[in-house]
Amino acid sequence: MDFGYHEENEIFRQKIKDFLKENITREFRAEVREMQGKGMGPLTKELILKIGDMGWIGMSWPEEYGGRNADRIDQYIFEEEFVRARVPLNIGNFIEQAPAIMASGSEEQKKYFIPRLVRGEITFALGYSEPSGGTDLASLKTRAVEGHNDYVINGQKTFTSGAETASHIYLMTRTDPDKPKHEGISIFLVPMDTPGITVRPQWTLSGGRTNEVFFDDVKVPKTTMLGNKNDGWYIGSKALNLGRAGAMRYYTYVSLFEETLYFARSNPLGVELMADEIARDKMAELYCEAQVARLFTLRSLSMVRRGIAPPYEISSEKVWGPEFLVKSTEVISQILGPYNQLWEGSDLAPHRGSFPKRYVSAMVSTFGHGSTQVMRDAIARRGLDLPRGPV
Amino acid sequence: MDTLLNEDEALLRDQARAFLTKESPTALVREVESENKDYDPSLWKKTAELGWLGITLPEEYGGTPVPFSHLGLLFEEMGRGIAPIPIHPTMVAALTINKSGTEQQKQSILPAVISGDKILSWAWFERGGDIDLSSVQLEAIVEGDHLVLSGTKLFVDGYHHADQCLVVCRSLADSEGNEGISLVLVDTNSKGLSSDRLPTMAGDIQDAVSFDSVRVPLSNVLGEVHNGGAAAVSLLETAVILNCSMIVGASHKAIEMTFSYAKDREAFGQPIGSFQAIQHMCANMVTWVDGATMLTHEALWKISEGLPATIEIASAKAFCNERCPAALREGNQIHAGIAQIKEYDLQLWYRRSAAWCMRLGTSIQHRRIVAREIGIVPS
Repeated sequence: MDFGYHEENEIFRQKIKDFLKENITREFRAEVREMQGKGMGPLTKELILKIGDMGWIGMSWPEEYGGRNADRIDQYIFEEEFVRARVPLNIGNFIEQAPAIMASGSEEQKKYFIPRLVRGEITFALGYSEPSGGTDLASLKTRAVEGHNDYVINGQKTFTSGAETASHIYLMTRTDPDKPKHEGISIFLVPMDTPGITVRPQWTLSGGRTNEVFFDDVKVPKTTMLGNKNDGWYIGSKALNLGRAGAMRYYTYVSLFEETLYFARSNPLGVELMADEIARDKMAELYCEAQVARLFTLRSLSMVRRGIAPPYEISSEKVWGPEFLVKSTEVISQILGPYNQLWEGSDLAPHRGSFPKRYVSAMVSTFGHGSTQVMRDAIARRGLDLPRGPV
Repeated sequence: MDTLLNEDEALLRDQARAFLTKESPTALVREVESENKDYDPSLWKKTAELGWLGITLPEEYGGTPVPFSHLGLLFEEMGRGIAPIPIHPTMVAALTINKSGTEQQKQSILPAVISGDKILSWAWFERGGDIDLSSVQLEAIVEGDHLVLSGTKLFVDGYHHADQCLVVCRSLADSEGNEGISLVLVDTNSKGLSSDRLPTMAGDIQDAVSFDSVRVPLSNVLGEVHNGGAAAVSLLETAVILNCSMIVGASHKAIEMTFSYAKDREAFGQPIGSFQAIQHMCANMVTWVDGATMLTHEALWKISEGLPATIEIASAKAFCNERCPAALREGNQIHAGIAQIKEYDLQLWYRRSAAWCMRLGTSIQHRRIVAREIGIVPS
């Protein structure tokens, strides 16, 4: 067992921190707040290009696709530090869509998409969930009908975050309604400006935006299909599993606790609240549980680096982390009391009023990207080899 | 960074597991417990012959100077095998002697421990059972070249068969906290010592030990007299992390027994393990025990590297104390009726791991350490 970082890893982490210190300026933060739900501002675009120039996007990918075969540990450090600094990078694309394209895409698709993803010129929204179902994703109804040279897509997606700014949608559709549900699905890489696509905002409790996306006779060339026809479920679920792991997710789960800890140590109100030993006990408990979230991620990472496909460990991460986040919002709200309800705009609000936003948005983690119930099914069946029961 | 076991570690784990599966069957565990034998001398001897009582100790005394993680993994297997031997008290005392003792003390004790000829115990807890050194009040007065000990120690593990007991005492009368503490080796046949066996849930060896003006030569003090605070803290940290290893090992075994049971046991015409309600309990069980394992392993690694591990040890123990018994209770629930029956083996692991979670500091006490270490205790 080795829970430490090599000196090179530490040097790399320092390099990232220095970069963030230099580039994440007050102006940058102001732009991010200003542009929320409206796309990328000029400073953000510039930052992504700079990150690309540093060779940090997709660094653990093979060299031929713009990566540099870097150690996955460095990739982990990159994700951890960028999420910690709250840089709005679409890391999900780099750990899900790019690997899926590399694994299943045509040569043309690889050459077109990968370098543009690295430069931030292309971003994908995920076209998975539909109004009739998200957890039972394989029951999706959006139809793609094969024509002579193209496919014609009709249907509706929902909770499609980032669709208002994405250049493309990574779209799961049904291409064969007569086959068993997992075997009639295909994925398309569709430009968002294709005629027939309509995006309608869905505003969330935290003030953020997600979307409904409508497809009305959307014609796409056959070359937009990723991999073979009707293989979409298997291509997608592999990438989905990758997207459930990694520092990006773990840090998203524990960042609220880390910020609260900082508040408890450095803010006069926080220090005052910590005079209560029961409050300290609760914080200490959250600390221990946050470490478990971190360690589960490092365990999956260690397995992947050894070439082992984790049979259930990634699902454990995806149960523990989100439920930790939800619990931490509860515990922290009971420590902060009325201060936890103060929205941005109040001078009295700790942390610019971010606590209540985290409180109302934490729920997304326990159902987004696979509900914790489905994750538990996977742990029991794939990890513990328990028999599949009556459905 | 690679949180999984390396080749040497996996080898040791496999060897220890194979050895204990063969040599520590439940029949032996039951025999030792039911006949009040305390431990099995033959298993103790065999463990020594494999060199395992010398793991991490220096070669010159017959030990094997490997990383501390190896000792942790051995203890994990000892927990998994619920081996009826006093390895925890003996090794904790031996490691402390190795770290803080004089050359003469090491020479006279460590080779005999490693060969299996000497059993040690250590005495820390008093009334209140706190892990804070301020709770240590056993009086020790310097008289010439002797320390004279008076008071009572509680929950002394392995005392009954120990040749010597490492006693944490307060040798400066008006001192507080970590100041004025001494660690002294007391022969268990010393005049003025008496002990009362404490009957426990796990049926193991614990005593209340009374000191009635027990005279111990100053040459038996570890390090300097009055200056043993740091060594006492280190002793307890060592004891705590090896206790976590045992809890984790026993818990893994108990949940694995439960998963097998869920696959075999049928109700309503199908294996109960096919019901989602049971599956989700099982998923929680493995997640909790894995979490305890990861925290324990990170602490073991830090100790192996010579890095401070105070917060990692306290975090591991606080988590183990609550989550492992919770996992085992789910195991009982899945077994239902049979879980309460003595004849059925599951209870052997359940009672022991539960009792181990009640010792060496409660989760509340360990979280107090965590709170201090993360800097939220107001000054």
